[in-house]
Amino acid sequence: MFPFRRHCLVALLVLLAGCSSLSPEEQAKRDRVLNEDREALTHLRSGNYAAARPLLDDVVTTLGGVTAGDRSAREARSYFKEESRKSFRGEPYERVMTYYYRGILYWMDGEPDNARACFRTAALQDADPEQHQFDCDYVLLDYLDGLVSEKLSGGGGGDALKRAMKSVRGTAPPAYNKALNVMVFAEMGHGPTKYAAGEHGEQLHFSAGSSAAVTARFRVDPTNDLPSLSIPVPVYDDLTYQATTRGGRQMDYILANKAVFKDTTDTFGNAALVSGAILASQGGRGSNMDEIGAGLLVAGLLSKVVSAATTPAADTRSWESLPNLLGFAALKLPPGRRTGIIEFLGPSGQVTTSRQVSFEVTPQRDTVLFLSDRNQ
Amino acid sequence: MNRLAFPTPLTASMLLGALLLAGCASGVRNPSGMPVTRMNADEQGAVAGTGIESQDLVAVTDKMARSILTNPELQKAQGTPRIVLLPVENQTRFAINKDLFLDRIRVQLNSKAQGKVRFLARDRMEALEKEQELKKQGLVTSSADPNVREFKGADFFLTGKLSGLTTKARAGVSDYILYTFQLIDPRTSDILWEDSAEIKKQGNDDAAYR
Repeated sequence: MFPFRRHCLVALLVLLAGCSSLSPEEQAKRDRVLNEDREALTHLRSGNYAAARPLLDDVVTTLGGVTAGDRSAREARSYFKEESRKSFRGEPYERVMTYYYRGILYWMDGEPDNARACFRTAALQDADPEQHQFDCDYVLLDYLDGLVSEKLSGGGGGDALKRAMKSVRGTAPPAYNKALNVMVFAEMGHGPTKYAAGEHGEQLHFSAGSSAAVTARFRVDPTNDLPSLSIPVPVYDDLTYQATTRGGRQMDYILANKAVFKDTTDTFGNAALVSGAILASQGGRGSNMDEIGAGLLVAGLLSKVVSAATTPAADTRSWESLPNLLGFAALKLPPGRRTGIIEFLGPSGQVTTSRQVSFEVTPQRDTVLFLSDRNQ
Repeated sequence: MNRLAFPTPLTASMLLGALLLAGCASGVRNPSGMPVTRMNADEQGAVAGTGIESQDLVAVTDKMARSILTNPELQKAQGTPRIVLLPVENQTRFAINKDLFLDRIRVQLNSKAQGKVRFLARDRMEALEKEQELKKQGLVTSSADPNVREFKGADFFLTGKLSGLTTKARAGVSDYILYTFQLIDPRTSDILWEDSAEIKKQGNDDAAYR
């Protein structure tokens, strides 16, 4: 076949395969994980843990599946479909937070071993095994893994504690004390969000999150059997740091190739259009020059269409309701009904927000409190 | 004259029009969905991960139930041994409903052992004690003397542990899980029976998610 015709045919086939749009129902299906994550966090912050549980379970089930053969992922890799067509699973810091929240709920429900399972899987989300500088570096995930092991088995948390200590960038977590029975999980601020940079939006970047509070303090009100108690709730992890230090994705290379392809086809299209126009204007009607010029015009037009149909934009769907800072503290309290307050503190120690807390300490299981400066 | 085989502008425009029209498809495959597929619990479904799935549960618990039934200690036991289930310890990276394992072993043993072993419903003690109290108070009928305590003690504890080892590479993840179960004599702490099953799975993620 003459090369020109073959090129046209290829371009035609490529375009036939692309350009299709998703129905709103299909897009909603592909955004399901993101929507469930958002909804679950809203429920967590309003204390509606029963509603958050099944939503996080559904996301965990999805994230636990292997994506080989996923049609939406295959589409996202194609030149003519956006990355955002793939079913949302989130970037590593977003996946980590799904497991982190589910772990907190398991612990709350008296299943610390399942909580530990979630913290371990969360740590795995953050690890990049081929670039060891990007091994999991969340302090809390390793620390909590070890704390649960210490509480369940009376030992065995040493390795996890060592890993946690290696990741410390601010306050170091305390040595394990398995007698502690009240776990305080605190979170602060607004987490990182994504934006697309580069000429065609092919580069995924993160906007830093922010937080008025940089630490927290938890106070338990005095009762007959307990004097007033106040403990710091230090921040151990920063999601902006986590989002921006994970290293590149393989998808980044795919998007960069798409951008190059888009530029190349556009440049070729321009050159062919100009050359075709010049040739067509110089030959007589029906002459070879005229035919070649017309052919170049068509080829240029097709190339421009192909270029326009190429979509290298990075997927910027974000779990934007995430916090920026994660804090944790544990304390030992005698059983009974307790009240207290968590105060979120700014850089100079001023209280930025505070939340009253009422909780029950039971002898059978740990009491787990989830407190956010964005509680609703 | 030798004419070059270029398409005329008209043909090219028609081609372009055709491809643009063709490009407006909805992009939805199986728009009407897929019917429910009924599967056996020991079959691997189309939706799969490297974690603990129903086919693993079935394979492991079947193996354990068979192994327990052939245990000589149980076969030699005086009378019908009473077994109490202790929670399974999950040391893997997968959160699971741990009761599923012991529940299925119990069901398998109850259906296949034909009374060779009995399980004690310790997880129902609160309701059982309440019922006995009602009988003592004469608020409900009783077929035996309600003042005699007949709750039986355990001859054996059945418990287990799930341990895991994960290997991750950029292309995917591999998970090995070792399931171990034990029958423990609560009087002596002897481990009378122990068996294990191991399952390894791996899967590669699409490059779009790496």
